[in-house]
Amino acid sequence: MDFDLEWTSAQLAFQTEVRAWLADHVPQLPDHADPADLTADEYALQRKLGRELGEKGWLYPSMPAEYGGGGLDLAMSMIIEEELDRYHLATPPYYDTGGRLGSASIMVWGSDEQKEYFLPQILKGEVRTWQLLSEPESGSDLASVSTSSAKDGDDYLINGTKIFVGSNHGAEYSWTIVKTNQNGERHKNLSWFMIPMDLPGITVEPMDLLLVGGERGAASGVKNTVYFDNVRVPAKHLVGGENNGWDVAGTHLEIEHGLLRSAVRADEMLERVMAYARNTTRGGRPLTEDPDVQDSLVDFYVNSQVTRLLHFRNFAYRAQGRQLTYEGSQAYLHQKRSALSKARAILDVMGPRALVSDPEWAVEDGHIEVHQRASIVEQHPGGTAEIQRVIIARRLGIGREQREQPGQLPTAIKQGQ
Amino acid sequence: MDLTLTEQQMMLQSAVRELREREYTKETLVAIDAGVESTADHWPGLLSTGILGSLIPEEYGGVGASLADTAVVYEELGRGPVPGPHFSSGVLATLVLLEGGSDAQKRALLPGIASGERVFALAITEEDYGWGPEFIHTPARVRGDDLAIDGTKLYVHDATDATDLIVAARLETGKIGLVHVDAHGRGVAARALPGFATGLCELSLLQASVPRSSLIGGMEDGWDVLERAMRKASLILSAYQVGGLSQVFDMSLLYSQTRRQFEQPIGRFQRVQDHVIDVVNYLDAARWTTYEALWMADEAREGALAAMHTAAAVTSESYYYGCNSAHDVHAGIGIIREYGLTLHTKMSRTLYHYLGSPRYHRKRLAQALGL
Repeated sequence: MDFDLEWTSAQLAFQTEVRAWLADHVPQLPDHADPADLTADEYALQRKLGRELGEKGWLYPSMPAEYGGGGLDLAMSMIIEEELDRYHLATPPYYDTGGRLGSASIMVWGSDEQKEYFLPQILKGEVRTWQLLSEPESGSDLASVSTSSAKDGDDYLINGTKIFVGSNHGAEYSWTIVKTNQNGERHKNLSWFMIPMDLPGITVEPMDLLLVGGERGAASGVKNTVYFDNVRVPAKHLVGGENNGWDVAGTHLEIEHGLLRSAVRADEMLERVMAYARNTTRGGRPLTEDPDVQDSLVDFYVNSQVTRLLHFRNFAYRAQGRQLTYEGSQAYLHQKRSALSKARAILDVMGPRALVSDPEWAVEDGHIEVHQRASIVEQHPGGTAEIQRVIIARRLGIGREQREQPGQLPTAIKQGQ
Repeated sequence: MDLTLTEQQMMLQSAVRELREREYTKETLVAIDAGVESTADHWPGLLSTGILGSLIPEEYGGVGASLADTAVVYEELGRGPVPGPHFSSGVLATLVLLEGGSDAQKRALLPGIASGERVFALAITEEDYGWGPEFIHTPARVRGDDLAIDGTKLYVHDATDATDLIVAARLETGKIGLVHVDAHGRGVAARALPGFATGLCELSLLQASVPRSSLIGGMEDGWDVLERAMRKASLILSAYQVGGLSQVFDMSLLYSQTRRQFEQPIGRFQRVQDHVIDVVNYLDAARWTTYEALWMADEAREGALAAMHTAAAVTSESYYYGCNSAHDVHAGIGIIREYGLTLHTKMSRTLYHYLGSPRYHRKRLAQALGL
């Protein structure tokens, strides 16, 4: 076994090239503790960087070059991730989970025409895409969505409400699954649409939530409610065929259940809490000498190592073309659950200061206070902890004669986008 | 980056698996546990694979394999779990001799370990129990050319199977001495301790006398030698526990699929599923912390010590809790000795404190992280 990411001389040369390019192109951006604080100007800078990366094929490095990706192998993609990680950025350098997940579904299920139309826009960073899944009455039971569409000539008329959507500063596209057969059998009554956000009848309204965060470096900012009121969507935006939406969704759900996280991402919060403990005294003694603090920090460290290793295993397996079954959800479950343990460890180590966002007293410019909220919020997106357990059980074949098969992934994703 | 076994490791794994399935069937393991059969009856089979010399360099009659290669063997043995002094002798004593023995001692003792002629047990802990030098009280006093040892060592693994012992004793200088003692010598008596543990013994030393040349490590403090040996041995022990846990998972998964209640497989119930999932989560946490720590140790990477303590803590906790969850899956069937799950439950308890408990390793981890 070899846990090292060792680069060849050609890869090292590429690393040098990427590093130099990023040094020239990455704009100065403030390190907001709360992603909602991202201003329109700062967002515009992120998008500009995205387009420039897209121009080089580095925005979606492992997606096929013919559609605007980089066509790069896993190692090259990793190098780009690693170098962006130094700036606390990822690919894309703004919230575009809809693009990451949606492009995979389009790769697998789209017609040639749809691939040629939608993919370059996403992969070159010309558009940002939101994913629309949850509804007020459909959370874990995603297949029960009631947003519906009726065929009207060559178009579909969509009506309904989606929640926990997107980010601040808008998006050019969104995709969603809607009910296209009111009386159809469950899982065979849904269709997957790629929808331009400027169509008449779409209203976006921010939600008031405990935290409006998202992924680091690609933070989402705000979550919205999106209303569809007789939105007319042309049939060419239907991907994967009518009433086949559940299978199309299977592709992006597979990725979302634990395959989104980058294998190289450092545990920033671990570094922050260790630094705090090393640089703080209590009662005249260094905090690190307190056995209780040591216990909390070691708990944090061990949790962090296990999460890292489970994701690393998944990444390495995919790099070797091995089909994952339960592993994605397992890593995701561990990540979610250990976020709560870590929050408790921070609360134990820092005391009430961990809860304060006041500019004078907040720890680490408010990052710690945001983490206290984020650890709660992290429990539900991409499927609750319980849903991850359901997936693990099905994939292991617990209590079943046959294991559930994973959703279909495009080659590029299998190999570790 | 490559998280698969090498071809050679896979061959090794299947050779040991074949041996385990032939020599250590569940029925045999249950019989050994009940005292009806003894590990010694199956010792020749184990020897035939040459695994006792895995860590011993070729010049001393062994294979000279890496820790990771040796771990492949021990993970497979752990699946049994195959009891007996293979770890005490082939890993722990071997590493003590390699770390601290003089060339003469290595030449005199290691070939015998590799061939199985000599079986070593390590007597470290005592009634005042702990894994630090401060817990070693048994005195070894100089009597002319000899050392006389007097005291009781407790929770000594596999002492009743041993031909040779390495005893940690307090020298008159205050240092710790590691003394090679003939297990059948005068004043030496080993007694198996009955209870919910596998292979734990009491070792009485009553004016046991050995030549001063039996001291391993010469002038060096014996605890430093022991510490270096235990750091490596701990990784192999973790691999053994990973093997045990993976067997516990396989049993739990299969049982959830085949046991029917309320006219359906019990694994249909999410409450049962949760227990099986807990086992696989414990297993994979143990497996990957152990594998990475082994790799770091073999490659002498920075952070290898922290990785070893992480693996040791996670793995002992995982084996312990994983067995608990497996009992939740199996309910009454799980406590029927013949079924075999309790072999693991007992082993998970036996190894929980061995070479340091999870709490011990977490404290050492804090030190390794510079806290």
